[in-house]
Amino acid sequence: MSPPRQSRYDAIVIGAGANGLVAAHYLARAGKRVLVVEQRESLEAGLDVGWVPAQVVRELQLDQHGFRLEQPDPWVSVSLDGAGGLQLWREMSKSVEAIRRISPADAAQWPEFCERMRTLASVLEKLYLAPPPDIETRNPRELARIGGLGLFVRRLGKQAVIDLARILPMSIADLLDEWFESDILKGVLGAVGVWHLKQGPRSGGTAFNFLHHHVGCALGVFRPPQSNLREALAAAGGVGGRSGPEMMFNNEAALRLASDGRAAGVTLLQRREQIDAPLVVSSESPRAALSSLGLHLDPEFVRALDHIKCRGVVAHARLSAEYAARVRNRCVAPSLEYLERAYDDSKYGRDSHRPYVETDGAGRVHIQYVPFTDQQRDVQSLRTLGSSVADALGVPAGALTIETPDDLEREYNLTEGHLYHGELTLDQILFMRPVPGWSRYRTPIEGLYLCGSGTHPGGGIPGAAGRNAAREIL
Amino acid sequence: MPKRYDVIVIGGGHNGLVTAAYLARAGKKVLVLERRPRVGGAAVTEEIFPGFKFSMFSYVVSLLRPEIIRDLDLPRHGLHILPLESTVTPMENGDYLAAWADHDDTRRELYRHSPRDAEAYDEYGHLMHFMAQAVKPILGMVPPDPTSFAPGDLAALFRLGKHFRGLGAERLHALVKLMTMSSADFLDEWFETDVLKATKSASGIIGTFLGPRSPGTAYVLLHHYMGELDGVFRAWGFAKGGTGALSESIASAARAFGAEIRCDAGVAKVLLRGRRATGVVLENGDEIAASIVVSSLDPRRTFLQLLEPSHLPPDFVADIKRFKFRGSSGKVNLALDGLPTFTCMPDGAGGKLHRGAVSISPSLDYVERAYDDAKYGEFSRRPYMDIVFPSMIDPGMAPPGKHVMSIFVQYAPYHLNGGWTDAQREAFGDAVVNTVESFAPGFKSKILHRQVITPVDIERITGLSEGNIFAGELALQQLFFLRPAPGWAKFATPIRGFYQCGSGTHPGGGIMGASGRLAAMRILKDGK
Repeated sequence: MSPPRQSRYDAIVIGAGANGLVAAHYLARAGKRVLVVEQRESLEAGLDVGWVPAQVVRELQLDQHGFRLEQPDPWVSVSLDGAGGLQLWREMSKSVEAIRRISPADAAQWPEFCERMRTLASVLEKLYLAPPPDIETRNPRELARIGGLGLFVRRLGKQAVIDLARILPMSIADLLDEWFESDILKGVLGAVGVWHLKQGPRSGGTAFNFLHHHVGCALGVFRPPQSNLREALAAAGGVGGRSGPEMMFNNEAALRLASDGRAAGVTLLQRREQIDAPLVVSSESPRAALSSLGLHLDPEFVRALDHIKCRGVVAHARLSAEYAARVRNRCVAPSLEYLERAYDDSKYGRDSHRPYVETDGAGRVHIQYVPFTDQQRDVQSLRTLGSSVADALGVPAGALTIETPDDLEREYNLTEGHLYHGELTLDQILFMRPVPGWSRYRTPIEGLYLCGSGTHPGGGIPGAAGRNAAREIL
Repeated sequence: MPKRYDVIVIGGGHNGLVTAAYLARAGKKVLVLERRPRVGGAAVTEEIFPGFKFSMFSYVVSLLRPEIIRDLDLPRHGLHILPLESTVTPMENGDYLAAWADHDDTRRELYRHSPRDAEAYDEYGHLMHFMAQAVKPILGMVPPDPTSFAPGDLAALFRLGKHFRGLGAERLHALVKLMTMSSADFLDEWFETDVLKATKSASGIIGTFLGPRSPGTAYVLLHHYMGELDGVFRAWGFAKGGTGALSESIASAARAFGAEIRCDAGVAKVLLRGRRATGVVLENGDEIAASIVVSSLDPRRTFLQLLEPSHLPPDFVADIKRFKFRGSSGKVNLALDGLPTFTCMPDGAGGKLHRGAVSISPSLDYVERAYDDAKYGEFSRRPYMDIVFPSMIDPGMAPPGKHVMSIFVQYAPYHLNGGWTDAQREAFGDAVVNTVESFAPGFKSKILHRQVITPVDIERITGLSEGNIFAGELALQQLFFLRPAPGWAKFATPIRGFYQCGSGTHPGGGIMGASGRLAAMRILKDGK
């Protein structure tokens, strides 16, 4: 059932993910009549992983709609062979105490490491809450903004400038080796550096990925928070007397172009029904949103779309309730070498023999590396993966339901099963995201905008791209 | 009364010699002190086996800055470059991929593998040519310090920003990609033929402890591309008489300008008075005074061996300690009774094969697997190799009818599990020879003598820490104003009167000489 609809909208948002919903709410807040079309039957269950910028919460008044953050304490646990475990806490002194038990030297380094990383993450936060700097601009306002960013960084001090230039291109392994000696600690931290990347911890740029996922986290916490952002957004009606966006589920929408090549609305594929709107905002991956328009696009642009590195390597699993409570926020990445070897398998197209596995507080499991294949997966390989994950967590294989990147592509229309619509490597961020020269949410099709994780600032920061895109449109 | 020098240059490698020549040309009284019996450092020619001469370490020339050749008039001092015209990559299936001196031949050959790639090849060439041109001015500039508010630094940063904006959007994006991507990913955007990508990506891994799929290697690819296009030399080549002849020509130029070069004169320490360098003390205990001391050694030796760490600011010492070397390359030098015959090209294309390079890089996975071995502390069981036969181009390198074969090998990690022993060195040599044998059956029976050089040997003989051929990894976080340490990338050091001029400074790596020249400029500027 769908609610009665207006015949004409100011804007149609494709996809009811966090970024799509946030964009829709911002547009509605500005007085536009907005329709959100989602191909799934309902909002996908589960929490959104990552920092929700305070501006989004405030501006959309999400606190009034039951918005809540999950910030587990301890934020990560590791079991040690026959020696209890390592827990890292939100309180600095408790973490220091815990680390001291495995390495006094590392415990001594911990506070300064946390401070330095926090400073760098604050630079990213600043960059992430606005469209990426346009380095080719001649517009005085944009130049002033870039100058302001430069000044902001330099005010953080000499060390921050050097760290920024030095650390971003580094490998997370090199970075952690400079600070710590404990394999366990380096494994726990290094794992974040490879999140959703088809790279190992020794690959350059993984230090950036580590910092990207530190954005919005408290000092000394290296796992992003989770929230019920989508749930709160769905509950929220209009803001400030305006009506909120309308929702339409169970409908797959395809962009429709007017004869002059502009976006004219969408066609609902199942119903063969057309809905008009001068503005279409897609939260799909850039390739999914645009590749069907090949004929209307410049070949160079299509080439750039094809070149987006978007190699899904993360499988997800759900733990049955019984076991979910037993292994909360458990990280299985005992060393950097363990992670690197897990990556090696994926280079040659195989699932990690011994994967990096991590659970959250709600029974969701992150499994890396499980490369996207686009081929029929044989039952045996899935069984092998299931048992290696089960072994890693110490639960029976039957307690797990696994979704591989291939499943994610089929189920959620995620290009190559990549949750972020594009890897967060240094050549695919800021003004290079989603494709060089088109980083400001616009597309070559007039009236069509992108607002998903494939745009700046990328995945793992639900709502930031949606907010930036909406503000850019307005 | 001992002679009084204006400048002492520690180390007679090519950068040290370039610095000495430029300073002598400017009228300074210069003394070069070389630990070994001959100048050249890692660019030396040695008769390792009677009648067989080898460019023992560094073996090809291309990056040497044209302004140095001009300023020092090196051809007059004996520099003669012989072009290395082709590259042949034997494949595991018996086929090959070749790049010939003749552009049309290369296109035809590529077409045989993939018409699409043959089309893309020219466009790719143009882009790389342009990118190399775009980066070249940076090689010739002293890196500004972005943390400084000094007018000179701000102006230089501004000029740099303007330079990059002037490239235009498309090329700027390409530059970002080259600086950050892996060579495999970068090449994936251009080509589909695996063996082509493997062979091209190989220049992105040379001297680094990274695989072709590791980000950062696209920059090394570009770094190696710069010489291919640079003014005087349009291709890679050999110095006639080996790379030692190149070093000799710079030494000869330096002497002609009045510099004195002393071999068998290893420097033990830099002498200080307070925080100022006053000269050096040799390993034999002799002291030599000079108002300026320049080290061409790598940063680790320059700061942690020639000086006491207590003389330096603790933060700076920490920065130098974490400067990464991680040598990954080895070398096998062979004296041959005759040329090997490669299965993929039995006729050797009428001698063309042996006059060029043979690249053992049959597929990306092959090169990546070679890296996998090294990552975990083993040498590659089937390594990537760059093979040349200098005696084919320069007959003086071997007795008549015989040949020398130079094999650059990767990966041979400095930190080998269990350490490098004589047995390990020979096992490494065997892995190299056996791999070549698999592409050229019967080759082993032609070997008369064999010299195997591991990173530990490179370190022992040339002094390069951990055997890193670039005097420090060419990784993004160790380039430009971070090379060798933030705040100290302008050839000066925290010690007054003490300078650095080796490849461990900007722009570093390869027989380029740019560091040596820039250091000399800086010293002359400070002296004014």
